Amino acid sequence: MQGPDYENVPSMNETSEWKPKASQSKSKTRKKKHLIEFSEDDMIVLQDVHKSYETGAPALSGVNLRIKRGEFAFIVGDSGSGKSTLIKLLLRELLPTLGEIYVDGINVKKIRRKKVPKYRRKMGVVFQDFRLLKDRNVYENVAFAQRIIQVPAKQIRKNVPQVLSTVGLAGKYKAKPRQLSGGEQQRVALARALINHPDILLADEPTGNLDPTNSWEIMKLLEEINREGTTVLVVTHNREIVNAMQRRVITMKQGIISSDEEKGGYSNED
Amino acid sequence: MRISTFFYAFKQGFKSIFRNRWFSLASIATIGACLFLLGLFYAVLANFEHVVKTAEEGVSITVFFDEDLEESRILEIGDMISKRVEVSNVNYVSAEEAWEAFREEYIGDSSVIFTDNPLEDSANYEIYLKDISMQSTLVTYLESIQGVREVNRSEVAATALSGINMLITYISGGIIIILLAVSIFLISNTVTIGISIRKEEIQIMKYIGATDFFVRAPFVFEGIIIGFIGAVIPLGIIHVLYSEVISYIVVRFDMLNQLLKFLPVQVIFDVLAPLCIALGMGIGFLGSFSTVRKHLSV
Repeated sequence: MQGPDYENVPSMNETSEWKPKASQSKSKTRKKKHLIEFSEDDMIVLQDVHKSYETGAPALSGVNLRIKRGEFAFIVGDSGSGKSTLIKLLLRELLPTLGEIYVDGINVKKIRRKKVPKYRRKMGVVFQDFRLLKDRNVYENVAFAQRIIQVPAKQIRKNVPQVLSTVGLAGKYKAKPRQLSGGEQQRVALARALINHPDILLADEPTGNLDPTNSWEIMKLLEEINREGTTVLVVTHNREIVNAMQRRVITMKQGIISSDEEKGGYSNED
Repeated sequence: MRISTFFYAFKQGFKSIFRNRWFSLASIATIGACLFLLGLFYAVLANFEHVVKTAEEGVSITVFFDEDLEESRILEIGDMISKRVEVSNVNYVSAEEAWEAFREEYIGDSSVIFTDNPLEDSANYEIYLKDISMQSTLVTYLESIQGVREVNRSEVAATALSGINMLITYISGGIIIILLAVSIFLISNTVTIGISIRKEEIQIMKYIGATDFFVRAPFVFEGIIIGFIGAVIPLGIIHVLYSEVISYIVVRFDMLNQLLKFLPVQVIFDVLAPLCIALGMGIGFLGSFSTVRKHLSV
């Protein structure tokens, strides 16, 4: 097998096959009839979303939320406030008990099981525990995301080094996840999430296992990704980062949105 | 499915065997042990059946005709008999041949005192059956033919052989079903444990947007390859063991050799090899397919 093309890794400004989000065409305008009011600027819309688990315990109790295309938002709140349930609903791992969820104009409830993989490819997802394939190296972990959408091998060999250089890991493509620090593993997860140019990036506690320096580096990368046009939704407990970044902050409490502020911060009661 | 996806899945399945070498070894050992037992049992059974079949083939029915029956009628009867479904072979023994055989076996040179053939009316048909259990039906038919004087048969041999045959069929059927059930249970358990350990890997693939097929294909290939290796190893061992044991018995127990004729290893393997390989690969396929399915609902 031909190795990855590291000889001609372009900088972020150079034109290349793997292009940052800003140079990608906008997704097609959808003119479908929706059950709720929906503007073309809306990337994520939740209307009166309820979710109860089989035990009957409510995880979400009437959540209304609109996230615009290209927005950067934090979702904060205590454990059990419904943040992770919200992410799982957006990933269509769970279905709402009541209410409607639209992502890029698609009614998530109506996606057939067979179509879920295609829907998920709209999203990049990053977890607190990185969730890398432990027995594969950095290159293979990132390439995997392209293989599943059947990108030709030649193209993958070009794209992977480029996205790895974007997250500052070009030199470590042969390393296995266990040989990397937490920050580096999270960068690999980011590279994997970005390589297919997702419309949305969902980050569930991306800095939860990282030290402050690495946490800031990951947040800077997320900001950069957002600047390129990707909608970024970050679930976090990191008070310092939320307060410093002055972005939209959606606070959840006991399954509802207790506050939603532009350029907000962690409220004192949290 | 794209050709590249097929090769990718196959390559990943193959790599996975090495990545998860302990699980692979455990699976191969389980499949191998089960198929080894099955193969061994089949080899013994096939030989046993062969012995019974050989004994059956030696049992014949003899038909004698009325005195002065015309030869054309005898030939006509012979035609009728050989067309019967129960019949595998019919030999005509003329009066002269019957006398010749009798003389050679019992009298020797003293036969010169007989000027005529004392067995003048002993022309007969020796009839061999396809299946000994059909003897009574055929005998009833033979006795009803006009011109037939006597029908000789061995009721005891037929009943005993028929009984043994039936017993072998029931016992072997039972044991094969039990062995298969145990094999499938053991193998699917091993595969289930092996794949459950990699549940997280499946979840990650699903979160990234992999289709069920894309997630499942490498596991299925892995299962099939493991099943194949798990079948080939016991087949190799049985091949060597069988040849060795047979030659040992033939050399060591010469007397047995007069009574028993063992099946050549090739005859055993004509059935056993495709059976074991199909079973190994089939179980590997089904085990991995159904186990991955349980973890796909992410």
